[in-house]
Amino acid sequence: MADDIVIQTRNLTKIYRDFWGRKKVRALNSLSLDVRKGEVFGLLGPNGSGKTTTLKLLLGLLFPTEGDVTILGKPAVDVTKNERIGYLPEESYLYRFLNAEETLDFYGRLFNMPADVRRERSRKLIERVGLQHARRRQLKEYSKGMTRRIGLAQALINEPDLILLDEPTSGLDPIGSRDMKDLIVKLKDEGKTVVMCSHLLADVQDVCDRIAILDGGELKVLGKVSELLKDQGVTQMKTTQLSDAVIKEVESLLVRHGAQMLEVDHPTTNLEDLFVKTVRESAARPGQRYIPPSSGNNPAA
Amino acid sequence: MSLSFNPTAFDLAAGLLRWLIVMSGVMLIVGISLTLMSLVAVGKTGPLMVVGQIRDGFIDFLGTSPRRVWALTVLTFREAFRRKTLVVFGVFAVLFLFAGWFMSGVTTDPTLQFKAYVSFVLRTISWLILPVVLLLACWGLPEDIRARSLHTVVTKPVRRQEVVLGRIFGFSMIGLLVLAVVGIIGYVWIVRQMGQTPAMRAQLVARVPIYGYKDVLFLDKEGRDKDERGEILKAGINVGDELPFRSFIEGSTQARAIWNFENFSADRLDQGRLIFESSFQSFRTHKGNIEKGLLCQLTLVNVEKNIRVPLQPFIVDEFRRNTYDVTEKNQKGLTDLAGRPVNLAKDLLHDGKLRVEVACLSSQQFLGMARPDLFIRLPDKNFASSYFKSLFSIGLMVITVVVLGVTSGCFVKGPVATLLTAFVVIVGRMARSFMEEVATGDYKDNPQFKMQGRGILDSLIRIPTHKSPTVALDDNWINKTVQLFDNLELAILWAVHQVFPDLGTFDTTEYTANAFDVPFYESLLPSLAVTVGFCVPLILIGYYSLKLRELEAK
Repeated sequence: MADDIVIQTRNLTKIYRDFWGRKKVRALNSLSLDVRKGEVFGLLGPNGSGKTTTLKLLLGLLFPTEGDVTILGKPAVDVTKNERIGYLPEESYLYRFLNAEETLDFYGRLFNMPADVRRERSRKLIERVGLQHARRRQLKEYSKGMTRRIGLAQALINEPDLILLDEPTSGLDPIGSRDMKDLIVKLKDEGKTVVMCSHLLADVQDVCDRIAILDGGELKVLGKVSELLKDQGVTQMKTTQLSDAVIKEVESLLVRHGAQMLEVDHPTTNLEDLFVKTVRESAARPGQRYIPPSSGNNPAA
Repeated sequence: MSLSFNPTAFDLAAGLLRWLIVMSGVMLIVGISLTLMSLVAVGKTGPLMVVGQIRDGFIDFLGTSPRRVWALTVLTFREAFRRKTLVVFGVFAVLFLFAGWFMSGVTTDPTLQFKAYVSFVLRTISWLILPVVLLLACWGLPEDIRARSLHTVVTKPVRRQEVVLGRIFGFSMIGLLVLAVVGIIGYVWIVRQMGQTPAMRAQLVARVPIYGYKDVLFLDKEGRDKDERGEILKAGINVGDELPFRSFIEGSTQARAIWNFENFSADRLDQGRLIFESSFQSFRTHKGNIEKGLLCQLTLVNVEKNIRVPLQPFIVDEFRRNTYDVTEKNQKGLTDLAGRPVNLAKDLLHDGKLRVEVACLSSQQFLGMARPDLFIRLPDKNFASSYFKSLFSIGLMVITVVVLGVTSGCFVKGPVATLLTAFVVIVGRMARSFMEEVATGDYKDNPQFKMQGRGILDSLIRIPTHKSPTVALDDNWINKTVQLFDNLELAILWAVHQVFPDLGTFDTTEYTANAFDVPFYESLLPSLAVTVGFCVPLILIGYYSLKLRELEAK
């Protein structure tokens, strides 16, 4: 296995059986893929496509019916691999009777961390996921979004090299979702490898370098997001503001070269950007209405 | 009041040997079964996988991290604590608030009153804590798996045995904390209840007995120590009990019951006084003086020097403790049969051996006795000593039940684990001794008695032929064949009964409630042996159950 391969699966197959050992569902069929060091890898697919099964096979929560899994150079059932792994499950299955500090302290203890390191990391992570105000509240009092945040914090308590995220933005509001995506990018910048599975395609597109699309337990597509999404039959140019005359001139130039101008428009931001800006502005200037600079409703314009 | 059973010192070497035999047998059966199953399921590589799992198990156990185990222990403790498990204190407090109303004055005899209080407290503690820890232990891991919180634990570098041990220690801590608190409350309650009169306060002791070495020997009414088959008499007369605990000697005959005390030197005496305590049972063939007890006499004997010292006779006070202070009752001094003075320490106890012969002096009446009915009483210990030893024993039972519960929770869901553990606890507490008696034919409280009709086929012959289970069947080929089959079936029963922990071992109530100190070799050591003997294989079962199961299996 090459040094830069963090996860390698070969013909990974999982068949769920019933009580009598009869085959019930083929959840994953001969999956072979590599995840490289430092990349953000997305596992995509509709419900029941085998994304979560793959993740659980990687973590040793399930045993493969056939095939092999190597993760950080070790077999999936080897618990020592977990020293360098962080895992955020689909739902944050944490102990609801603990508070945020106790939760992180507990998971820190499982890594045999000294008390001062646990304290320091817990403090930083609680700040990082924005739960300072609720650090002493039991998790059973948390909203779904807060639970996801503390779930993420526990996944990062050991400063892992490989982070496995199952539906990381599920249950988060747009701000939380954006924070999560920013965090994933930041983790990548720090040289970490991130594997996430999601069916929120926009999220995956925003952060993933490579993706695999699964359907019915089978690998359908594997490759770089930028390459997979590239439409080779269309060229897009972005310029500063142009006058109508210039646009017409460009169009005639294109016609002369046998091309056709398909669309001329002002690019729009997306709703997520608008929402995030609005909420952040509102937090910065409480009591005042936020009016985006380009809005036609701006009375000052 | 003496014990209703024969306290015998636990033979650690024999126990260990038996444990090794059973463990080896079970491991051999499991090993062969797994190898065959793996051959069928995987093919030729199957046995290698089994060996690999055993090797991985060794490696995992060697890599156990005490810090991780402690983290999981604290988690378990915190969980139980925050789920308001300690509400059990409230139940206990309520019981004690009102128990005094019903229990005080049940008898005028302080001994019986003390027995009632102590039995109530110790039994209440046992029956209050056991269900709590049983439910906690049985539901802990299955609930953790169902809620998938265990997923966030096992995806950290946590080995499966650390999860099992963390759960065991955590639930044990909860159980032991509850035990300590309710135990102290119970102690204070007993002392307060028994502190009302000097006679009641005098009961708050822990008597330290020295029992005769091994069996009580008997002489028949002609003074013979052997029966017609030439075997030493280990039983007297049976006055009609089906399963006799006590044997009887006839009054005004040469019948004697003989206790041999060993390893007993003069320096262990209570301020130089030799005190015997007895509680013989009377069996009258005629009324006689019904208001007066039977007359009994003890004779001290040094067999080597052939010194016999008959002591002053005493009247047996039935259903009471009969304390006999040798110095006080024989104020003219000890003399042998020839009237020569005898020194207790030099002439009778110098080699650590003392023989005591008991005779009934009431004509045509019988005195019944078993080994615990006569003992040398050493200086008393404080009541707290025996009481807290009883609590220690209950603590060991709590740990055993926790280990049972956690282990069953490793491979089945909460409700099934609860049923399974409750079944093992009930059988272990109530039916194990019976199973052992049926399997071996040895009646626990009477080693002389050998049960005959035990097997299924044997019983099928005895019932229509009205043959007593105390008599052997006729010596013919049919009966021999029957016994051959029965021996096989009884061997299986013996093997099965070994799977159940003998929870009766942990019950020391009879010692403490009868104001005896809880002995180490007779009571605490077997309790420790049962706990360790069962915990080791159960932890292994729990580890492999958790390791080999898919936590996410649909």
